[in-house]
Amino acid sequence: MKVVVLARRLKAERKENIISAALSLFSKEGFHATTIPDIAEKVGMSVGNFYNYFSSKETLAKELILYISTYLGDRIKAINEGPLTTEEKIAAIVTMYFKIAEERPEMIEYFLRIYLSNREVFRDGCEGIICVSSFVTEMMIFFDDGVSSGDLRDQDFFSAFGLFMGYLGGMVFLFGEKILPEPLNTYEAPISDNIYNALRVI
Amino acid sequence: MRSESSKQKLRLIWLQGVTCNGNTHSFLNLSYLPQLLSRYEIVYHPSLPSSSTQDKIYTLKEACDVFVFEGAYDPLMRRCDVLLSDLLEHYGTQADFIISAGSCASFGGMFKASAPERNSGLIFDGTEQIGPLRPIYEKVINLSGCPIHPEWLGYTLSMIADGHKIQTDELHRPLELYSDLAHHGCTRNEYFEWKVDSKQFGVKEGCLYYAQGCRGPMTHASCNHILWNEVSSKTRSGSPCFGCTEPDFPRRDLFVTKTNMSIPADVPLGISKRAYLTMAGVAKTFKIKRLEGRLIDD
Amino acid sequence: MTRELIDQIEGEASIFFDMKEEKVDFATIAFPHFRGMESILEGKPAMDALVITPRVCGICGHAHLMASARALEAAYADANEAVTLTPKAEAIRELTLILEMIQNHFKWIYLVIMPELARLTGSEAPLTPLKGAFAASLATKALAGFAGQWPHSSYMLPGGVTCDITHLERIKAEGHIDELISFFEKESLGTTLDEFLTFESCRDFNAYDSDISRIESGLIQANMHQIGFASDQFIVLGDHAFTHPAKVLKTRQYPVHEKHVSTVASYSPSQKSYARNAQYKGKYFETGPFSRAMSTNVPLIKNMHRRFKDSAYSRVMARVFETGILLERAKEMVGSLTLSDDSLIVPRDIRKISGKGVGIVEAPRGPLIHRVEMREGIIMDYEIITPTQWNIGSSIKEDPTPAQLAMMGKNTSKQEALFIFRTFDVCSVCTTH
Repeated sequence: MKVVVLARRLKAERKENIISAALSLFSKEGFHATTIPDIAEKVGMSVGNFYNYFSSKETLAKELILYISTYLGDRIKAINEGPLTTEEKIAAIVTMYFKIAEERPEMIEYFLRIYLSNREVFRDGCEGIICVSSFVTEMMIFFDDGVSSGDLRDQDFFSAFGLFMGYLGGMVFLFGEKILPEPLNTYEAPISDNIYNALRVI
Repeated sequence: MRSESSKQKLRLIWLQGVTCNGNTHSFLNLSYLPQLLSRYEIVYHPSLPSSSTQDKIYTLKEACDVFVFEGAYDPLMRRCDVLLSDLLEHYGTQADFIISAGSCASFGGMFKASAPERNSGLIFDGTEQIGPLRPIYEKVINLSGCPIHPEWLGYTLSMIADGHKIQTDELHRPLELYSDLAHHGCTRNEYFEWKVDSKQFGVKEGCLYYAQGCRGPMTHASCNHILWNEVSSKTRSGSPCFGCTEPDFPRRDLFVTKTNMSIPADVPLGISKRAYLTMAGVAKTFKIKRLEGRLIDD
Repeated sequence: MTRELIDQIEGEASIFFDMKEEKVDFATIAFPHFRGMESILEGKPAMDALVITPRVCGICGHAHLMASARALEAAYADANEAVTLTPKAEAIRELTLILEMIQNHFKWIYLVIMPELARLTGSEAPLTPLKGAFAASLATKALAGFAGQWPHSSYMLPGGVTCDITHLERIKAEGHIDELISFFEKESLGTTLDEFLTFESCRDFNAYDSDISRIESGLIQANMHQIGFASDQFIVLGDHAFTHPAKVLKTRQYPVHEKHVSTVASYSPSQKSYARNAQYKGKYFETGPFSRAMSTNVPLIKNMHRRFKDSAYSRVMARVFETGILLERAKEMVGSLTLSDDSLIVPRDIRKISGKGVGIVEAPRGPLIHRVEMREGIIMDYEIITPTQWNIGSSIKEDPTPAQLAMMGKNTSKQEALFIFRTFDVCSVCTTH
């Protein structure tokens, strides 16, 4: 019994390692340039063994976007369920997002450079918001709470979502391109203010 | 509880508070009305022939087993010169069963708005227990609905005559009638499942929950499986459910779904918003061609 | 002066009689209950009126729904956003309105008039009130096939109706109407509906032993052809396939316009009454089936009017006969519905609409008027004038309302007056809304 549990834990760990390695390779080298042998090598496993974890590169790619979406979703959920005001929640989401961009840039890079730019890879099984559902759902909860508490203006969801996430994505892109003159976290306060002012009840 | 051998007919008195008489008229639609009435002695009713007289009823000289009250309670109102509170105290105290017929008698309903500071249901004012029959609340069965569904009252009176115990929810409504949601049995359910909203009123296609104000998934009522007039329901005829069996009826802006940034403010009962939005987001992703256009092209 | 408390009508009323030698010299009428429907409506989104106004009345709420829908549509027109209905939507509305009237008339015949007449004539014949309930339930079954339910449907919206029926539902509704006609023929008429509708004289009833014939002979036996006269002034304001607006003075017809309709406080010195009397150019008129029969020249009723003027007899028989006319009309309409039209032509967002509008329909008891004023889709002002406000107003002795006049008379006892009162088919809940 104990052995089985241990084996399971080991398998989960290795899967996590593959995800980390693949994220960093995909976001650096691009989806098409990265091969399964490259990933296997980086993890330190045989190509044959890799297939015990993921049946194809496309399956892995989908798994990655689900992983990122859940990762972000869990963090926004914690913010949503916390005691913060709407204005403070915006600041917390911005801080969280920029922190990930700095500490695990491959996650945001993967989303922007692979998921959004190689839609053909995700056509089957990742239609619409399926693979980013946990992230989008939490943003819906955030907006719904904001409007029902009387802080945010009622408007179309995607107009508000685009304003919030497009803004953050753009800043992370500039950061990744090393165009920003200051460290990313110096922009947190003004950006949070801008988002709040754009969305709040007038 | 009444024994089966008892041949004595149960005595019924039906009185009214602040009302439109809609519950009386709805009840008259009951398909097995003659059979049901043969089990009761109608001591007093606003439209049916009665064994007693106005004079005896309003001088509080009558008694009954089942006391039906229709309409909201207004402490200042008099029926045939007698304060409602006196009528309720007399007939409520001596009856074995008290039935609040309709949402006004159950929660205040439409006519709570006539005098919001005074009017209420028999036990409840909305969900607050401050009505005049609060001290004898265990005898009261609330049959909310605007109006009452004839079969809901038919069921309750039959159960009483049969000597069966009626299980109720926390708002004193029979579970067998109110454990369902109005959504249950709605012919538009497939559109709800796949998140296909009705583009407009006047078509049989699409779900009315997303834009047209339908309260079906949030309303305890068996309207879509115990059909109205035995043939239809609001949603089947293209109207949204207005949630008329719930204590917050009538809400405001009844033909529009309240949304926050396009997200429904209220989601189906017992479902977390997170779970609902996750499921809805996924369902919405798929384009189901069969559910997109008109079902029948003219 | 003596007071009679009337309940077991739609609501409650008091009549205060001034008697002279056992005969009614004068009577005033008070309606003691008030719900403030109009103030409930103020400040509400205009569409909510379609849910609130049917709740004015449990027996004629559908007429209120239609008056409300028409008032909102008129407000659209006032804002230069005229709303058009397809012939299908028009026909379905009209059909369900008619079915509600039929329902009303059956209940009145079996639950009010027959028992009251039996009491007055001392008849021992067994009463059959549940016939009325059963017939009414068939009418509402047919109605609900379109409107979803009865009472308290809200299926009419500015621009049409919400239901999108197929022939399946139409055929089912037709089945219920057919069943109701058979019931009426077998249980009420003792002859066919077609035969009944050819009746042109009181004598035509003599050939049958039926509920309807017993009502006719009972009324004569109770002397109702010689008492219960109102002022012989009739008014119809709703425009429908089954009747048309007109003022009828004795037998002459004149055009009418709703703008001349106003209300005045009632005269009720003995008890606080919330009712207001409705008038046309400051005068009282009788409304309802009798008026509609006069405006559309129904031969039987014109004949009865010629012989017995606007007596209680003629008034009762007009309502009885209208039941047949409406059943035939309903049958005709349900058979000829064209379903290919749209059910609803979606008008502009009501939140963009500011304007005033009037909706008029003929309800079971006569003209029902809803007047609305809205600003950006919010109700600023709402006024409802109901048929019973016409028939059963309470005024001074020198200028009595139809019901007061009908109850007064050197030959009218109090018991007879109480019956006459009910020949108007009293709706107290509508009167004071």
